[in-house]
Amino acid sequence: METILDVQNIHTFIGQYHILQGVNVRVPQGSITALLGRNGAGKTTTLKSIIGLTPPREGKVIYEGKEVQGARSFDIAAKGIGFVPEHRAIFRDLTVEENLKIAERVKGDYLRKRDFIFDLFPDLKRLMTLSGTALSGGQQQMLAIARALVPENHLLLIDEPSEGLAPVIIEHMMKAIQLLAKDSTIVLVEQNFLVASQLAEYYVIIEEGRSVQAGNMKDLVNDKAAIHRYLGAA
Amino acid sequence: MTQPTNSRLSAFFSSNRAALLTLLALILLPFIVGMMDGESPMMVFANESGNSKFAQGLAIEIFILALYALSFDLIFGITGMLSFGHSMFFGVGAYLTGISIKTFGLSLPATLGLVFIAAIVQAILFGLVLPRVKGITFALVTLGLGSVFHIVVMSSELGPYTGADVGLQGVIVPAFISPANERLRFYFIALTILILVYLLYKRFVDSPTGRVCVAIRENEGRARMLGYNTFYFKLAALTLSSLTAALAGFMHTLYQPIVSPNIANMGFTVTALLIILIGGVGTLSGALVGAVVYRLLDFGLRRYIGESASFISGAVYVLFVLFIPFGIVGTWKMKSLQIKQGWQRLQKLFG
Amino acid sequence: MNTFLRKNTVLLITLAAILALFIAAAQGMEKKDFVITLLRGLSVGSLTFLVASGFSLIFGLLDVLNLAHGTLFMIGAYIGWTVFVRPDTFVDLLTPLALILSGFALGDVYPLLATRIRFGLSLKRILPWALVFTSILLFGWILPRYPIAIWNVGNYGQSPVTYSFMADSGTRLPVLPAAFTEISAPLALIGLLLASILGAFGLALFNNTAQPLKLNWKKFISFAILLLVALLTFIFNDSLTAALTGLSSNWLFVIAVLVATLSGAGLGALIESTLIRPLYIRPIYQLMLTLGMSAIGIEIVRAIWGRPEFVMPKPAFFNGSGGVCPATNFADWWANNCSTILLLDGRVRVYNEIFIPIVGVIVLISIWMLLQRTRLGMVIRAGVQDREMVEALGINVRRVFTMVFALGVGLAALGGILAAPSMGLSNAMGESLFLNALIALAIGGLTNYPGAALGSVLVGLIQQFIIKYGQIGIAIPFTDIIFKPTPPLVPASTVLLMVIILLILPNGLLGKKE
Repeated sequence: METILDVQNIHTFIGQYHILQGVNVRVPQGSITALLGRNGAGKTTTLKSIIGLTPPREGKVIYEGKEVQGARSFDIAAKGIGFVPEHRAIFRDLTVEENLKIAERVKGDYLRKRDFIFDLFPDLKRLMTLSGTALSGGQQQMLAIARALVPENHLLLIDEPSEGLAPVIIEHMMKAIQLLAKDSTIVLVEQNFLVASQLAEYYVIIEEGRSVQAGNMKDLVNDKAAIHRYLGAA
Repeated sequence: MTQPTNSRLSAFFSSNRAALLTLLALILLPFIVGMMDGESPMMVFANESGNSKFAQGLAIEIFILALYALSFDLIFGITGMLSFGHSMFFGVGAYLTGISIKTFGLSLPATLGLVFIAAIVQAILFGLVLPRVKGITFALVTLGLGSVFHIVVMSSELGPYTGADVGLQGVIVPAFISPANERLRFYFIALTILILVYLLYKRFVDSPTGRVCVAIRENEGRARMLGYNTFYFKLAALTLSSLTAALAGFMHTLYQPIVSPNIANMGFTVTALLIILIGGVGTLSGALVGAVVYRLLDFGLRRYIGESASFISGAVYVLFVLFIPFGIVGTWKMKSLQIKQGWQRLQKLFG
Repeated sequence: MNTFLRKNTVLLITLAAILALFIAAAQGMEKKDFVITLLRGLSVGSLTFLVASGFSLIFGLLDVLNLAHGTLFMIGAYIGWTVFVRPDTFVDLLTPLALILSGFALGDVYPLLATRIRFGLSLKRILPWALVFTSILLFGWILPRYPIAIWNVGNYGQSPVTYSFMADSGTRLPVLPAAFTEISAPLALIGLLLASILGAFGLALFNNTAQPLKLNWKKFISFAILLLVALLTFIFNDSLTAALTGLSSNWLFVIAVLVATLSGAGLGALIESTLIRPLYIRPIYQLMLTLGMSAIGIEIVRAIWGRPEFVMPKPAFFNGSGGVCPATNFADWWANNCSTILLLDGRVRVYNEIFIPIVGVIVLISIWMLLQRTRLGMVIRAGVQDREMVEALGINVRRVFTMVFALGVGLAALGGILAAPSMGLSNAMGESLFLNALIALAIGGLTNYPGAALGSVLVGLIQQFIIKYGQIGIAIPFTDIIFKPTPPLVPASTVLLMVIILLILPNGLLGKKE
C-alpha cells in the first residue's frame, strides 16, 4: 500500500524543551493509524509538528511524496491536511455555519460538502445559526470534525475525539470516523485504548518523545505486555 | 582565627572585584577628572568650577536617574507590573520637596519625612487599583492616574505652588548641601544613597518576598495557587518602588534649581523604560548601567547633533528592542561564558 | 430577560448614571447651546472613534498595543495636508516611493531564491548584513540627490507655514519645479530599484524560518505594476502636477483623503511586516517598540515639516459665505456651500459638526459590515480567538495580520486628514487624541468594536460639555456659587471617568468578562 505520510525521525522543541526526540510515523493511504501513549508522551506535538504549528527542528515530514517540514502551516494545510485539535477548538464567536464556511479553501467548498456533512452529523443542521458557545461538548466535537471535512482533505489529523464525551456520543463519533476512513486517511490520537483498537488498523506508540513500537493493531491487542508497559492499561 | 577571616575577605574581594573597582573609580572620579584638567585635589575639595565640578554634576544626574530606573525595574522588571504612571512617583517626590521648602519653609528632614509619607500614600492609591485590574488594563489605569497628576501640576489654579507650565522655580537649598557650593559633598551623598538603595534592592530580590515577586512576574496564577496572596507582595514592591522614586525626586529637586512639569509627563516614564531596556530588564544592575549609557548618550547627542538627538535616541531604543532585547547586562550574563571562551582562544592564538 | 438584568446589573446602573449626568447637563443650558455642544461632542467622538477603532482592531487580533497610533494619526494629517497644499511635492514623491516599494513587493520570492543558492555557513551569516548595508548606502547616496520640490522649514518665505497660510487665504504660491541636476535620472531610478531589491532580499534572509512551498505569481504582477507606476509618474510628472494644481479644492481634498488613508495603510503594512512581526514571541517588547516608534514618528514629522503649527484650508464645498449664510434650510446651503448653518438658533459649522460625524457613522457601519458579512471579517473574528487553529485551516494568518494592521493605521490616518481642517496641524495633535482614544477604549472595552464607538462618543460628549460649562458656569444646587471648570479639567474629567468605570467594570462597559 502506498504511504501518504512519512514522518522520519523528527525532533521538536517547544521553547527550550526537547519534546519530540525522534518520532517515526508511516501512514499507509486509506488507513486509520492511531498514535498511542501516555499523557505528555508527545502525541499532540507530533500532530502539530506534521501540520507545522510546532515546526520540527530536525527530521523530515514527507506528505504525498514531498518534504513539507519547515514550511508555513497554512501552506501545509492547504495541500490537503485537515486538523481537528484537542479540546475541539471551534470558534465560539462564530455561528455554526460560519465555523464551517471559514474552512473553505476554494469558494463553494461548503455548498458542495454541506449535504454530506449533515448526513454524517444531522444535529448540526438544526444548530446552524447558533453561536459556538451554545453547543454541548459532543456537538462541538462534531463541528470540529465537520470543519475539517469542508475542504478537499486527503489526510485528517484528529486529536482525542472521545475526550470528555458520553459513551453514546463516542459511539456515534466512532461510526462517523469509520465512515470518513472510506474516503480519506486518518491519523488519530486517542487515550481510550478501547476506542483506538476498534477504529485503527495500524498503531504507533510514542513514549517520552520517541516512537518505540509500531505495527498492526491486531497484533497489539494480543500483546498484553506492550499494552501494560506503554499504555498502563490492563 | 585570622586565617578564616582573611580568606573570607579575599573571597569577598575576588567575587565582587568588578563592583568594588567601579566603586573605587566613582570615589576617585572627581579627583581624576580634576587632575586631567590640571586641578589639584585641594581645588576639587574647594568646589572650584572646572571640568571636575561639571563631571560631578553629570554623575549626580546619573545617580538620580539610576535611582529612578531602579525603582521602575523593581515593579516592571522584577514583579512584572507594567505601570505607565511611574513618573508620578518621581514627580510627587520632586514637587512635594520643592513646595515644602519654598512655600512652607520646612527643614530638610521634615521635608524628607513628608515625601516618604506621600510616597506610601500614593503606593496605596495605586495598590487600590491593583486587585481589580491586571496587565494591559493596569497599564492604562496607571497611565490615567499619571496623566491626571500631570494635568493637576500643569493647571493654573495651582500655579502659585507648582509654577504650572513654567515649572517650580527658586527652591533655596540648605547651604551645607548646596549643589553650587558644596557639590562634592552632594556627589558623595548621592553616591552613598544610590549604593545603599542598590544593596537594599539586591537584598529584597534575594529575600523570600522578592522571590515571590519574581514568581508573580512569571505566572501570577501559579503563585496564587501556591497559597501566596499576591496582592500584598505587589503592594510591597509598589511601596518600596514608590519610596525610592520619591527619594530620587527629592534629590532631583535639591540638585536642580527647577522642577519642570516634564518630569511628571508620560515621557519621563518612557525614559525609565528606556534606561532599564538598555541595561537589561529585571537585572537591577542593568538600571545602573542603563542610566550611565542613557545620560551620556543623550548628553553627547545633544551636544554634537542638537535638535534631532531625540530621533537618534528613539532609533537606538528601537534597535535595542529588536536586536538586544535583554539589554547590556542581560546579554552579558547570557553570553559571558562565550565571551570568556573567545578571549581564551584569542590568548592562545597570540600566546 | 430576568437573567439579562441580573447578569448586567452593574453595567445598567453605570449606563443609567451616565444618562442621568447627561440629563442634568442638558438642564443647565439653553437649547441652542445644548445642540451645538452635542454636535461638537459627536465630532470629537467621531475623530476619537477613527483612532480607537483601528487601535482596537489591531489589539483584538494581533494582541499588539500600538502606542504609535496617535503619531500615525498625525502623520496621516501631515501627508494629506501635503497633497492638498503642495501637489507638486506629492507628484515628485510618487516615482521614488513606487521604486522603493517595488523591491519589497516581491516578498516570498526571496526565501525561495535563497534556498536555490547554496551558501557557505559564514557567507550565510554575513550576506544579509552586507545586503542591507549596501541597500542603506545606496539609499543614502541617491535619496538626498533625488530632485523633489520641497519647502524649506528654516526659511519663512518657503516654509510650510507660509504655504498653508497662503492657501488658506485662497492663493497658491508658485511652484518651483525640481530637476535632475546632482544625479542623472536613469542612474537614480535604477539605483533606487536596486537598493530596494537588495534591502528586501537582505531583510528576507534574516528570518528564513518558514518557507513558502510554491511561488506566488501575483507577487510579480504587483512588482510590475509598481514599476509601471514609477515609470509613468516619472514621464508625466509635469503634466500630472499641472492637472492636480488645476483641480478644484473639493477634488483635491478627496484626493488628499484617499492618499492619506492609503499611505497610512501602506505604512501600517510596512511597520507590521518589518518591525512588529519578529516580536510576536515577546509581547512586552512589542509594546516598547511601538512606544519608540511613536517618539521617532514625531521627530520625523518635526524634521520634515518643522515645529510650528499650521492650518489646513477647508475644501470649497464647506467654506462658502455670502448673502444667505448662515443657511437656514438645505436648499440655501446647497446653493451657497455655506460654512455654517443655523440649527435650532445655534450656528453650526458644517464641516466640523456635520460632515465629520457623518463620516464617523459611515466608517462605523462599513467596518461593522466588513467584520460581520465578509470572509475577511470572519477570519478576523476567528483569529481573535484562536490564531493557530485559523492557520491550521490553511489560511495565511500573517497576511491577515498585516491587512488588519494596515486597516487600523489607515483608519487613524483617515482620522488625521479629516481632523486637519478643523483642529489644525501640530506636532502634538496625535498625543491628545490618542489619549482620548485610549480612554474611550478602556471605557468601552478594549477589543469590543461597538464598545469603541460608545466609549468614543462618551469621551467626546463629556469633554465638550465640560468645555461649554467652562464658558457658562455650573450653578451648584442649593448655593449661589457658579463653578467654572477650567480647561485642564477637560482631559482630567475623562481620565477620572475611565478610572471609575474600570474600577467598577474592569473590562469596560461592553467588554467581555474573562
